Amino acid sequence: MEHSGKVAPIIECRNVSKTFKNKGNSLEVLQNLSLSVRENEFVVLLGPGQCGKTTLMNIIAGLEPATSGEVFFQGERVAKPNPKLGMVYQTTALFPWLSVMKNVDFGPRMRHMPRKERREKAQHFIDLVGLTGFEKAYPIKLSGGMRQRVGIARAYCNDPAVLLMDEPFGHLDAQTRYSMQDAIERIWSREKRTVVFITNNIEEAIFLADRIVLLTNCPTNVKKEILVDLPRPRDYVSRGFLKIREDISKIFEITK
Amino acid sequence: MNRKKKRSFAGSRTEALVYGILSLVILLAVWHLVSLGGRIGKFFPSPFLVIRDFANAFVHAIGRNTMLEHIFFSLRRVLVGFGLGVVVGIPLGLVMACSKAGRAFFMPLFSIVRPIPGLAWIPLAILWFGLGEQSKYFLICMTALVGITMQTFFGALYADPVLIGAARMLGAGKFQLFVHIILPSAIPNIFAGLQGSFAGAWCAVIAAEMIRSDEGTGWIIFNGMNYANTAQVIVGMVAIGLVGLIASTLLKALERRLCAWNIQGK
Ligand SMILES: Nc1ncnc2c1ncn2[C@@H]1O[C@H](COP(=O)(O)OP(=O)(O)OP(=O)(O)O)[C@@H](O)[C@H]1O
Ligand SMILES: [Mg+2]
Repeated sequence: MEHSGKVAPIIECRNVSKTFKNKGNSLEVLQNLSLSVRENEFVVLLGPGQCGKTTLMNIIAGLEPATSGEVFFQGERVAKPNPKLGMVYQTTALFPWLSVMKNVDFGPRMRHMPRKERREKAQHFIDLVGLTGFEKAYPIKLSGGMRQRVGIARAYCNDPAVLLMDEPFGHLDAQTRYSMQDAIERIWSREKRTVVFITNNIEEAIFLADRIVLLTNCPTNVKKEILVDLPRPRDYVSRGFLKIREDISKIFEITK
Repeated sequence: MNRKKKRSFAGSRTEALVYGILSLVILLAVWHLVSLGGRIGKFFPSPFLVIRDFANAFVHAIGRNTMLEHIFFSLRRVLVGFGLGVVVGIPLGLVMACSKAGRAFFMPLFSIVRPIPGLAWIPLAILWFGLGEQSKYFLICMTALVGITMQTFFGALYADPVLIGAARMLGAGKFQLFVHIILPSAIPNIFAGLQGSFAGAWCAVIAAEMIRSDEGTGWIIFNGMNYANTAQVIVGMVAIGLVGLIASTLLKALERRLCAWNIQGK
């Protein structure tokens, strides 16, 4: 692949296919999809609704098996969930019975990290996502945007090598969405990690991505890849931004 | 939710209080008037007589025990029987939800027992355990067991798979999943089961005491009936109602404590 350079990719999907079978009906969601992600790269998968983005994410995460094909993480085959991969969900997947603090330090707690150490660590990420003062609140009391911030802090706090983000801002209003995009961009520049980010929003993709992977409709495959070589933080109305926007719109329209 | 409903019905809190007092006053007035009528009045003691007898019962014994002692006997029976139901029912529900083998083994047995109302066990309880305390414990336990087991089972079975996935991604092992995700997911259901089953157990103790006993709130009622002492019957009923109310209030308070995360608003 032209972008993978000399270093081995941290994530590699090889010919991944997925077919759901339900009592005679079968639905082919992913078809021979290949994809690779380099370390510290911010890759955005941009695809239409219901095309199998969440399914692909679950397969990369090891939560669901592929029908055929393989996924490699740091050179090893993914077969079960690996805490080195952190997941941020489309809908809030916070533990409703735990406070913000206990949600965020959940991962370290499962690894039996001493209380003081993991509290400090969790506090660092709570501060980073801008939720200082809400440590004791239960998720039910938080707004949608705040919940997603907790989800991001929780994923970061487990020290993953890769963050998988599945339309984390899909359910937020436009205003909150912009501020969350800023937040993610800021966090990413301070805590460099590999990010695989899913969205169906073109602007969001251009604002965040080093590289955008355009996905086709179901059964899903990679349509095209676009490198976004604009200085960060990006300006939604700069010429470079609008140019890429136009290119992507064209690509999506051509096949319609 | 409950509170909201009450509000929209009666407007405000003070309004609700006024209506509550009003309905109570009307009840007592009508009751008192009926008790004045000759023939009906004979089996219809005045509410003031009942209140007096009720208060008296705390000082002067009915049968061999005062009211508090009667309540204590009934409560002890319920707590032992209900406690057994909890100790058996919660683990049973969890095993059926979490282990395929456990479900395959217990589910058929349980499906047979489930539709049998607790009180249908009375004859077997007597034949197996005699007329003493044990048969009462057994009866109460059987009444409470079914609800507790079912609620625990469904609560644990329908733990959100996304949350389970999220916990696995964060490194939780099998046992940790059970402790940190499945169990807390089931807690609201378990509480619903406890509340329903407690009401059932409180019914069962009355039935058990009516069959045979020398004390307890159920005994007060039955003894009153045998001696055509209507006031005593009603005193027993009031005691049962009050204890049931206090117990369910306590359970609700405990639930509010333990499930604060599940309650919207302040
Ligand atoms: N476990 C499953 N069994 C059967 N079909 C499934 C299952 N999971 C997903 N699907 C189907 O696969 C298709 C793709 O689902 P998926 O959730 O991966 O899409 P998506 O791109 O994430 O959608 P969205 O844009 O709504 O997030 C959908 O038609 C969905 O109904
Ligand atoms: Mg999705």
